[in-house]
This record gives sequence, C-alpha cells and structure tokens, in this order.
Amino acid sequence: MSFWDVTRQLADGFGITLLIFGITLAASLPLGLIITFGSMSKIPPIKWITKVFVWIIRGTPLMLQIILIFYGPGLLNWDVKLPRLTAVLIAFVINYSCYFSEIYRGGIESISKGQYEAGQVLGMTKTQIFFKIVLFQVVKRIVPPMGNEIITLVKDTSLARVIAVAELVKAAENIISVKGIIWPLFYVGAFYLLFSALLTMLLNFAEKKMNYYSG
Amino acid sequence: MKKRILSVLVGAVMCLGLCGCGGGESNSNVNGSVDNSGANSTNNNSSADGDSSTPDNNGGETDWDYIVNKGKLVVGITYNVPMNYQDDSGELIGFETEFTKAVCEKLGVEPDFQVIEWTKKEFELNAKTIDLVWNGLTVTDERKENMLFSKSYLKNKQATVVKAENADKYPTTAEMGSITIAVEGGSAGEDVIKNDEALKGCTKVSMEAQKDALLEVKTGQADACIIDFTMAKAATAEGTDFADLKVLENIQNTDEEYAIGARLGDTETIAKINAAIDELAAEGKLLEIAKKYNLDDALLIGA
Repeated sequence: MSFWDVTRQLADGFGITLLIFGITLAASLPLGLIITFGSMSKIPPIKWITKVFVWIIRGTPLMLQIILIFYGPGLLNWDVKLPRLTAVLIAFVINYSCYFSEIYRGGIESISKGQYEAGQVLGMTKTQIFFKIVLFQVVKRIVPPMGNEIITLVKDTSLARVIAVAELVKAAENIISVKGIIWPLFYVGAFYLLFSALLTMLLNFAEKKMNYYSG
Repeated sequence: MKKRILSVLVGAVMCLGLCGCGGGESNSNVNGSVDNSGANSTNNNSSADGDSSTPDNNGGETDWDYIVNKGKLVVGITYNVPMNYQDDSGELIGFETEFTKAVCEKLGVEPDFQVIEWTKKEFELNAKTIDLVWNGLTVTDERKENMLFSKSYLKNKQATVVKAENADKYPTTAEMGSITIAVEGGSAGEDVIKNDEALKGCTKVSMEAQKDALLEVKTGQADACIIDFTMAKAATAEGTDFADLKVLENIQNTDEEYAIGARLGDTETIAKINAAIDELAAEGKLLEIAKKYNLDDALLIGA
C-alpha cells in the first residue's frame, strides 16, 4: 500500500476527527457559559444541581460516558436509536461544556469587585455590567487555560473509536487489520501535530490581539 | 485526605453506573426471550413479510418483525482478512461479506454492514445497534449464554503465532508454560489458555483486537499469541509487516466452528437464516464463495 493510498485513507478518518472537534467546540463554548451561570446561581437548588452534574461529568471517564450514551438507551429497551457519531458528539459536548464552565467560573471570579462598582457608579444594570465590562476581561484571562483544553480536545477525539467511529486512529488500525502494515499508526501522529501547531498559532494570535486590555 | 475521599466517591458512582448497565442488559434479555417464545407458538409458519394480522399475545413485535420493518439487517463486523475487508478501491469484500449478501438476498432484506469493536459485540446485540454478529464468530459454551447461534458453516482452529526465529523452541505447549501469551479479550484464543493445563503458568495479556496480539509478538512484548487460524495465516503472509512471525503448525488446538450470532431468543431469525444457508449449500453457491477465498477445505456444509 503506497504512501498516498494510506494518506488518502487516513484523511477520511481525519475528516471525522475534525468534525468531532469542530462541533464539540462550537457547541460547548456557549453551553459552558450557561452551566457557569448555573453553578454561580444565587438560587441554591440550581446551584447545587449544576455542581453535582459537573462533578459527575468531570469525575467519570469520557470513554464511559460515550459507551453509556450510545448503548444505554438500547439496553434499557427505549425506542431511541442514536447514530454512532451523534452519540459521540453528545458525550463530547456535555463533557467539554463542564470543563469550560469551570474555566469561565475561574475567570469571572478573578475580576475584581472594583469593576462591578465602577459599572454601578455609571448607572449600568447587572446584565450590562457583565456583558460590557466583565466578559471581555474574562475572555482575555481564560485564553491560556482554554487553549489547554482545546488542544486536549484534538487528541480526545480518538476516544470515539470505542463505539467504532472511524476517526483518525481507528482508520489507521483498520489499515493494520486489513493490510498488515504498522507504520500508518505512527503516521497519524503527524496529523495531530500539524493540527495542534495550527491551533497553537491561532491561540497565540488571539492572545496578542487582546493585549490592549492590559491590567 | 480530601482527595482520597473524593476518589472513593467517584469510584462508587462509577460502580453504580456499571451495575445499572448490567441490570438493563439482563432485563432486555428476559423481555426478548419472552416476546419470542410467545410469538413463535402463534406464527410458526408466517411468511417473511411479517404479517401484522397475526395475533400477538405479548403486544410486541418479534425480533424478525423488527428487522423486516426496518428493511435492513444490521450485521456487526470487524475488518479482518479473509472474512470482511476492504479491497484497494475501498469496497467491502471477503468470505463473510459475500455469504451475508447471499443469505440476505434469500431473506429479502438489505444487509447493512456495521463495523464494531469486537469486545463489545454482546453490548451491540442487546442494545439493538446490530442484529447479528457475522464475522468468523467461534461457537463457545460461554458465548451460548449470551447469544443464539445459527448452524455452524466453517471449521476453525486457534493458531499459536511466535517470532520465526523462536519457532523451534516450542515443540509442544508444555514448553510454553512460563511465557507471556497475548490474546484478544473475550476470544476463543483466551479460552485455549484457560482450558490447557500446560498453559496454566503463562502470563496472559488480553488485547482489544487480534491484530494487537500480533503486534505484541512482533515487538517482543509477548512471546506468543493465540488467534484464529484463518486470520493468522492471512496476516503473516509475505508482504505484510508480520511476515517475520510464524504459525506453529505442530501445535494443534482443538477444532472449533464458526457460526452466526443473534440475540438470545431470536429463534425466528436464526431459523430463517439456517434455511437460507441450506438452500445456498444445495445450490453450490456457498462452495463457490468459499473457493474464492481459499476456504473450501474448511467448509462444513455444501462442500
């Protein structure tokens, strides 16, 4: 099997990897903020339910969550059939939203009281203060920890293969099974490296762009 | 200290989660078999179009009705030569692939090949994410507790694979008592180690797939691996990365048989498949497919 044949087959798997990455990121970024509001809520039931939920999701392996979401309904005899990729996406979005929510919370809590007071002096409402003063400072502060999670997400996509979704690593494993050649498994490392290099550059760029909020 | 308490709690939650799954699984088994035994007594001779006029004591559809209503039979496979694999153009071929297509044609349903993780095949069946396991599935007593088998159609045996330069070290299994042996978790190869007195002292490594067991031997992590004979022969052929491995022809493990696995209690589907297999065997079609993949010597019916 030539280098190009292997590359072409792996590219198919890489497409799935990118899809999981892109949809998870696009959905968990806003969803994470909603969970943050829940865990910072002043209403105790909402606050504690959210905190317990985040604890369960962060406290169990993502692999287990994927298996539970995909096989769970069928094992309980429910009439729901999730396509494999959908089950993976649901598990990833929930999992990453919870991690993001804690990063957001850390960012929000790091903003000094003076910023809120300044807003009040200007006669802004609570919502105005949050969206016009606090949020942009939060975004700037959380770029480095978010970058960490985002790059972890690139590699976590390989967990999708536990329910036989043919992402990049699974694509390489299929080549071993069928052709009996091993090197494609290590070649996938290059795909991940290139992609995370691109992301690192983007994240650095974002950090520089936000330099003007010094302080 | 706090961390330790937390980790114990997390462990407890995970255990609960697993118990929950186990309970669900056995539940669905019971329901499945009750449904089918009831339905079979009422519509023993119903035709393949699953007539809805037949009174059904249990108010639910049988497994076969379920498959017919979907219009397709979802078959769980893994890529392995010569059973189910992709040719250079990416098309699925292989003995089992063609066999499945031929049987489905007789049954009037569309086959839908779904790649699965082999260690989760029982999960997939019970969760109804697949309808059959049809991929060189060895019949074992343990598997009979979790799935219903069709008639056996192909002979199989387990092969012991070692590095070619070590082949002379192991004239019998007695010399393999203290080495490391890799197998696929839940495979018939794992049973060989369990059942062979001479192998009691060996270190067993359970892998996710048969190819991973080969990789263990190739890299020297394990001294030997025990995998399906047909797979071993194809995988260690000239031109593969495993060509420096050798199948030990002198070590003969007990003969086994391949069959198709369905959900427990799915007697109707299995009866229909068995009838279709008999027809294919009588027509000589089964032999034709087997010859194409050099498996005609191993064929149990229609040879």
